[in-house]
Amino acid sequence: MLTLDGVAYRYRAAAAPALQDVSLNIPTGGVYGLLGPNGAGKTTLISILAGLLTAADGQVFLNGKPLAEARAANPRAIALVPQDCAFYPMLTVAENLRFFGGILDLTATGLKGRIDFAVTFARLEQATGKRAEQLSGGLRRRLNLAIGLLGQPQLLLLDEPTVGVDPQSRHFLLDAIAALPTAGTTVLYTSHYMEEVEAICQRVAIIDQGKVLAEGGLGDLLRCDESVAELVLGIELPAELTSRHHATAMGPLTYRLQLSSASALPRLLDDLAAAGCPLHQLNVGRQNLEQVFMRLTSGSLRD
Amino acid sequence: MNRLTALWRKETLALLRDRHGLAALFVMPTIFILVMTMALHDAFMPGAAIDVGYAIVDLDGSAHSQSLARRLTKTGSFRLADTPGDVEAARQAIRDGRYALALVLPRGFGERLLAPAGADGQATEPLSLLVDPTLNPALQLSFRNQTSAALGTLRADELTRSAGKLFGLPTPTQSAERDWPDEIVSTAVQNDRSIRPPSSVQQNVPAWLVFAMFFVVIPISAILIAERQQGTLQRLAAMGLPFRFVLLGKLLPFFVVNQIQAVSMVAVGIWAVPLFGGEALVMPAGIGLFHCWLVAAAVSLAAVACALLVASLAQTTQQSTIVGGIGNILMAAIGGIMVPKFMMPGAMQTLAEWSPMAWALNGFHTVMLRDGGFSAILPDLLKLLACAALAIAAASWLNRSRAA
Repeated sequence: MLTLDGVAYRYRAAAAPALQDVSLNIPTGGVYGLLGPNGAGKTTLISILAGLLTAADGQVFLNGKPLAEARAANPRAIALVPQDCAFYPMLTVAENLRFFGGILDLTATGLKGRIDFAVTFARLEQATGKRAEQLSGGLRRRLNLAIGLLGQPQLLLLDEPTVGVDPQSRHFLLDAIAALPTAGTTVLYTSHYMEEVEAICQRVAIIDQGKVLAEGGLGDLLRCDESVAELVLGIELPAELTSRHHATAMGPLTYRLQLSSASALPRLLDDLAAAGCPLHQLNVGRQNLEQVFMRLTSGSLRD
Repeated sequence: MNRLTALWRKETLALLRDRHGLAALFVMPTIFILVMTMALHDAFMPGAAIDVGYAIVDLDGSAHSQSLARRLTKTGSFRLADTPGDVEAARQAIRDGRYALALVLPRGFGERLLAPAGADGQATEPLSLLVDPTLNPALQLSFRNQTSAALGTLRADELTRSAGKLFGLPTPTQSAERDWPDEIVSTAVQNDRSIRPPSSVQQNVPAWLVFAMFFVVIPISAILIAERQQGTLQRLAAMGLPFRFVLLGKLLPFFVVNQIQAVSMVAVGIWAVPLFGGEALVMPAGIGLFHCWLVAAAVSLAAVACALLVASLAQTTQQSTIVGGIGNILMAAIGGIMVPKFMMPGAMQTLAEWSPMAWALNGFHTVMLRDGGFSAILPDLLKLLACAALAIAAASWLNRSRAA
């Protein structure tokens, strides 16, 4: 659906490029996760896709057509839901939706249908007459998302859509976003919450310092060497077991062990039970996204 | 058209819900017009009484000194507050703020009336004027001029009487004390006809209307900066809305606001000012009214464009309030809104030529006071429109370069 080929961008007077040689392939239908630390180039990339910036180098294709051409043919094909609540606090929910529908040049009948869909989708029925400034954080995020859906976009760019919302609203938003591909909208999702990306994205790209560090299906990215086990225990690993299984401490009560064979895992579990070590977590052959992310981005502190 | 309608509707709703913005646009200028019209009521009325008290210290006590005192009283411009017996009492009264001027008529004033400044070889003690140092120098000068004039008529009358006696002509036993000044009726020149001079309401309504129209900078910048900070402008751009539409979307609603301001301020001048004791505003009739609207339209375009430029320059609402607010006050101070241009020194009058508010005020004065036609207001209209075009171009450029 969306193909980026060698995309580069440098801000005026910036010492380093914001993006360099970024190539990605985002397939139709699905939620695509875009991860990266602060300053990695995610916002620049989203700005290029949203038509706010023009790539200095490389090409972007939407459904096989150059991006500018595709946007000109269908200006509503790509919608952006910014990280900020980008609407008018002094207007009611309904007035905001009507305004942005007008900006999308929807006809009167089309506008009503799309507003009804957006209100139902984001469960804003009880809030349509309220001014946006009076909404809770969760309702604001839902309105922000609803505005993005007004134009029935083929591709929805979501920039940190769950920042500052309560767990219930986050859960609702994630479910709603995960359901978008079945309604015909592909989603490009950026977030700092790894568990969210793991929960709803089928493919993920990790970028840092303007470069793609890893890209692929979520399962492929998380798969790791099956001879390595990671344990989180309730007490310290006894010294005898540490030396027997070549364990390395990775953090408080967290250990990485080298498994010599497939049968080593049952033996290890028996040893732990015999030593009275409660096992809280065990990872074998699969790491979580945070581990992948921290390893790829060197775990160093950013701005 | 759908897009512009949506933008106009949004701006209208946003403005209607901004109580502070509405107060700045409508309540503030109404108060200014009422207060300034009352405060400057007499400043625009030739020959009106001046509420400044004076005393006469008559050390001579002659018929001539008393005659001079009476002549001064008759002018009626300044208020006779006291006739103390000695100079020290007058000095103390001025220090106490009871009056601002004391004219001391020296001993021998009557005897030496026709021999001033030692014309006959003998010294003549001059009249002296004690003055409160806080008194406006123009008022001091005015009192001196009135005294000189009264003294002149007194001398002339005395000379006539003496000459009559000398040549055996019939003369009245006592000199006639004619009213002074001889009545001078002021007439303002308006094209081919003449009218009474403009009252303070004629001067103040256009002045504070111009000031109010430029105050659209506060609501416009508040909305535009909020749109930028909250990412709404980015969202609109991502929806394919060109920035010129954003500007156009603000231009029409605030143009309408400016026109409502104009109608409201004129209504205040016509109906509210008389309720407070001022004169009613007189508006031009026929084509003059259309010319008045042309000026109002040009002022509005310049005001909204300047507001968009300030909103584009400022990063925060606080900055725009300071830059816009102080900028407006400076433009008003330089442009003759707060202090009429004719009261400024030459250098300041030259500087005033660079204030868009001065062009606006001059345009209104040309129509409302001088009954000027289209060709008379054209230079000011062109200056205002050029200002609007430059400001819009600069605002667009700033927003484009900020996005890159």
